[in-house]
Amino acid sequence: MLELILIVLILYAVAIALFSIIALRGPTIGDQVLAIDAITYATVVLIVLSSIYFKEPTLSVVAIPLALWIYALDIYVAKYLERGDLGA
Amino acid sequence: MSRSTSREVISVLEAIVTLIRGVGFALIVLGGIASLISAIGFHRFKNFYLRLHALTVGTIWGCVYPLVGAALFTITFEELGAYRWFVAGVSFVTALIVLMLAPAGSHAIARGVHKSKTARVQPCLADLLDKDLCG
Repeated sequence: MLELILIVLILYAVAIALFSIIALRGPTIGDQVLAIDAITYATVVLIVLSSIYFKEPTLSVVAIPLALWIYALDIYVAKYLERGDLGA
Repeated sequence: MSRSTSREVISVLEAIVTLIRGVGFALIVLGGIASLISAIGFHRFKNFYLRLHALTVGTIWGCVYPLVGAALFTITFEELGAYRWFVAGVSFVTALIVLMLAPAGSHAIARGVHKSKTARVQPCLADLLDKDLCG
């Protein structure tokens, strides 16, 4: 059972590596923000799955702030692109 | 209650636990595959607006469903002790947060990119909002 979770962890790690190529190189800033979104969502699942795999329940605390932070990044970048400044 | 009926009840409960664990595990494996598909889609799609589709595959199939699956799996995972309810609650709440916030965020970023004309609609059939971005 836990070996299959390890395989899923490796799948997520490969996906994060592929996303980070776009995040570093992407043609426009929108693509980079999308890739950073996808990296964060994959990292949330990676953290929860590794807290199951390593039997460390306190690892999973970090998942909620990560999921909240990426929404703030989306809103800030969208506002900056639309108006030219972050506003108040 | 006689001994045979209590044994039947115990076997039914064990079947339910096995079912919950199997469903959770299937959702986790599905999430891993969907996340890999989303990563490949990021490289194969041509422009920003098509990559939004790859992002949403990686969001709902690759994040919400495996988190619900992890919640179902940890409920039946005895080796974590009493902390398994904690991990299950955290992953369920995170799944709800992602389910609410991820579509709002991707709509906001798509609107911002289209209004600021940052990304062009490169293989273009029609762009009814702004004809200059086409082609």
